[in-house]
Amino acid sequence: RPVKCLKSGPDDGGEILEIDESHLLLKLLHRVNERLEEENPEEPLLFDVILITTDSQRQQQSSRIISSTKHYGLEISRFCFASEDDFAESLQTNNVQLFLTTDRNEASQAAQKGVLSALLDQRVAISTSDQLRVMFCEDAVIQPDSGHTPVSTERAVQSFAAQMGEMRRRFRLSDSPLSFILVTLHGGRDRCADSLLTLRSSGLSVDEAYCLAGAPRGPILRCCSLTS
Amino acid sequence: MMSLNNGQTLTVSGQDNRTHLEDSVVLKPSTPTRKPKPPKPENAITIAVSARVLFNMDKEQQIYEQQGMEEYIKYQVEHETQPFSPGPAFSFVKALEAVNTQLRELYPESEELFDVVLMTNNHAYVGLRLINTINHHQLFIERFCMTGGNSPIGYLKAYHTNLYLSADPIKVREALEEGIAAATMFTQEKITEVSETQLRVAFDGDAVLFSDESEQIYKAHGLDKFFEHEKAHENKPLDHGPLKGFLEALGKLQKKFYGKGQRMDCPIRTYLVTARSAASSGTRALKTLRSWGLEIDEALFLAGAPKGPMLEKIRPHIFFDDQMFHVEGAAEMGTVACHVPYGIAQRITKTGIKDRETSSETK
Repeated sequence: RPVKCLKSGPDDGGEILEIDESHLLLKLLHRVNERLEEENPEEPLLFDVILITTDSQRQQQSSRIISSTKHYGLEISRFCFASEDDFAESLQTNNVQLFLTTDRNEASQAAQKGVLSALLDQRVAISTSDQLRVMFCEDAVIQPDSGHTPVSTERAVQSFAAQMGEMRRRFRLSDSPLSFILVTLHGGRDRCADSLLTLRSSGLSVDEAYCLAGAPRGPILRCCSLTS
Repeated sequence: MMSLNNGQTLTVSGQDNRTHLEDSVVLKPSTPTRKPKPPKPENAITIAVSARVLFNMDKEQQIYEQQGMEEYIKYQVEHETQPFSPGPAFSFVKALEAVNTQLRELYPESEELFDVVLMTNNHAYVGLRLINTINHHQLFIERFCMTGGNSPIGYLKAYHTNLYLSADPIKVREALEEGIAAATMFTQEKITEVSETQLRVAFDGDAVLFSDESEQIYKAHGLDKFFEHEKAHENKPLDHGPLKGFLEALGKLQKKFYGKGQRMDCPIRTYLVTARSAASSGTRALKTLRSWGLEIDEALFLAGAPKGPMLEKIRPHIFFDDQMFHVEGAAEMGTVACHVPYGIAQRITKTGIKDRETSSETK
């Protein structure tokens, strides 16, 4: 089961913890699970969400965290309290396929352990759609002969893409609760073609593709997220 | 040898420069030259074209309509390495690139160029076939949006699109409503040869360059009232129509050629082909253009005569008209004609027969 791991946010001191936009993501993940089970009640390939925190203060309020998630109706299967030093190992032990955080350092720590990480960017417009839209965004201008990304992250991307591809195939082309987007920011059409092929060879055929070839990303990315 | 960032190796083999990855192929042009960087959208004149007007996808469209989406996608992927043949917008796009080449020679640092963006509703599954086709025909298109069924309008705006060409009249109308110049293109049986070095663009006047205000008078009150009205308001500029901005953009580029002494043989030439008459109603049209600070290279006042033969002489790469009767008439004679679904003509007449009746009178 693909495991997504969320980091909990700051505390304002009240009984129920404040919630941020990531709860919308959880709702969308849950909706995908619901649709998967509609197609097949015995579906083994579902999203599994773990909430992890390294904040020691937070860990003392474990019951508050758990009751808050219940309060908001969030589908979280496990809670993980770890220290800053070993949280990345916890991710590995829990077989986490994707780690989401607002903390850049933690994201890079996890990446070094070979766990695919993504930064939750709250500046990106929240989609009003009820479709979970996952964007693969190619940023760096990569020279053909250099290998920038560590091999462990490559494997993590491939594995993630493979599982996502399988999940996507449970649904038809239209009316899917899950959609994949490739965005190539720099480089031209051949770069985009290479990425399409790479993802496809990993098992994922994306639904939408945008090749910007250096055009300003803001307006285009806003369109991608505002699609209904 | 090229490395992908996941460590796999691609081999570039032999004459036809194919890169192989598993059993899929990306076809690359046989003489890769250093590609110039695409201009920033706000500096460029952006032309967005849909896949079905750039290429001929009639067969695939039929499969989609008769057998559904899944079969359509399957067919596309199976024929991924088979390039599409050119569609109605193809020669127009080639001519845009020819102008760009000449502009780059004269102004190497300038970003005031045409930028062609492929704007398609297709799923990204068709992406590789489209990219392979672009490579095969050696088109300079580096930007595209494959929206997988979502509306292209937001992306058109994000690219500051100056002109949108599509086979889908609904999308064209939506674009017009958002203030984006747009026209519907159709597959044509006959397309006459056009220049490869000079871009020629022809426009109808009313409801294309100008608003449809005068057409409304003609349709409501008839020919005499139309003449009276136009004469009386000769010095009052008409309101602008949906393609005025595009003519303006072309004029901007023309001035760059004039600046380098290329007025007589300018690589861009514009035409007004109108059913107005030179003797009467034509004056208002010319004065309006002048008041906008716009020039048009040739103004042809047909006084109601069919446009087809005149266009056949001019050989434009593209002709814009708001009335399907004129679009069809031009297409019959091999001119690439597209429909601007704007103004009163869309509401009054639907069939070709009715159009012919009203247009046989002098306008």
